[in-house]
Amino acid sequence: MASFQAVKKSINLAPTVRALPSGVPAAPLLNLAVRAPAEQHGHGHGSSGPRADVPPSWAGGVSKSPFGLFTKTYTTAPSPRVFQQRLLHTSAVVKDAPEVPDFSHYRAPNTDNNRALSYFMVGTMGVLSASVAKSSVSEFLQTMAASADVLALAKVEVDLTTIPEGKNVIIKWRGKPVFIRHRTQSEIDEARSANWKTFRDPEPDEARAKKPEWLVMLGVCTHLGCVPIGEAGDYGGWFCPCHGSHYDISGRARKGPAPLNLEVPAHDFNDAEGKLVIG
Amino acid sequence: MSFAITAYNTIFKRNSVYVGSVFAAAFAFGIGFDSGVTAFWDSWNRGRQWKDIRHKYVQDEE
Repeated sequence: MASFQAVKKSINLAPTVRALPSGVPAAPLLNLAVRAPAEQHGHGHGSSGPRADVPPSWAGGVSKSPFGLFTKTYTTAPSPRVFQQRLLHTSAVVKDAPEVPDFSHYRAPNTDNNRALSYFMVGTMGVLSASVAKSSVSEFLQTMAASADVLALAKVEVDLTTIPEGKNVIIKWRGKPVFIRHRTQSEIDEARSANWKTFRDPEPDEARAKKPEWLVMLGVCTHLGCVPIGEAGDYGGWFCPCHGSHYDISGRARKGPAPLNLEVPAHDFNDAEGKLVIG
Repeated sequence: MSFAITAYNTIFKRNSVYVGSVFAAAFAFGIGFDSGVTAFWDSWNRGRQWKDIRHKYVQDEE
């Protein structure tokens, strides 16, 4: 009875229904070398023989091995030529272009306004950025400028009416002494008649004194920065006690180690109020 | 509509003109902004600044 059941099972069931304990499907009665029947069987695919759409057995194929089904291809088989078109199918139709919804209702009827507005917004952004950049740079540069208290100290006013003729006045300007000499006529003549081209730092008296009776100079010796003494020295001008430089009545270096004439600061005369503005 | 076309053709079409007008507008905007803020400051602080009360303390000699 049991043997009959096994026979019945082997006949009725599909060959791959059983699996070996190793997991390989067992196909005990599968004949892999079966060939198509020799005669035509009446539904129009020509004569019998090896099927045209199956690679021949020498090109490889499926074989049975003790470990299960085994497939190997020995050569590149020609692709099976199938001339039969499948006209019935259920897949979606492929179209040339995807179908685009109709957006004409949402489109602007005239794009000129939109274009001008877009450019305007971009330009406004540029204007604001340029303003910000410009003001940043200029504000940063203004931090380097002199502050108001420094500017207020940068100028000094001297009342010239209080200085008698032939007298020196020493004032402080930007931390340095400034000599103001009210020269007499004889001193002017002496300063102007000197042969200035032979001096160490040749400079005419006309270039040093804007008004001939007023001589304004920085009271710092050009040698090493001492303050010269007025109305002294060999030339009746200034004498530096540190290293013995002699300056004449126009403040020009005549003798000693001083290389240059005494410096003349920028100054201006206010004739209406009789004042001298240094700076 | 025609204003948009005119603006596009005169300003936006050429990039050089566009950038130049942006800088010119930035210059004008800076001046206008400064003067506007200064005017607002003066009106907000009216009567409290030195230039408003100077005539009370300084008599110009005539």
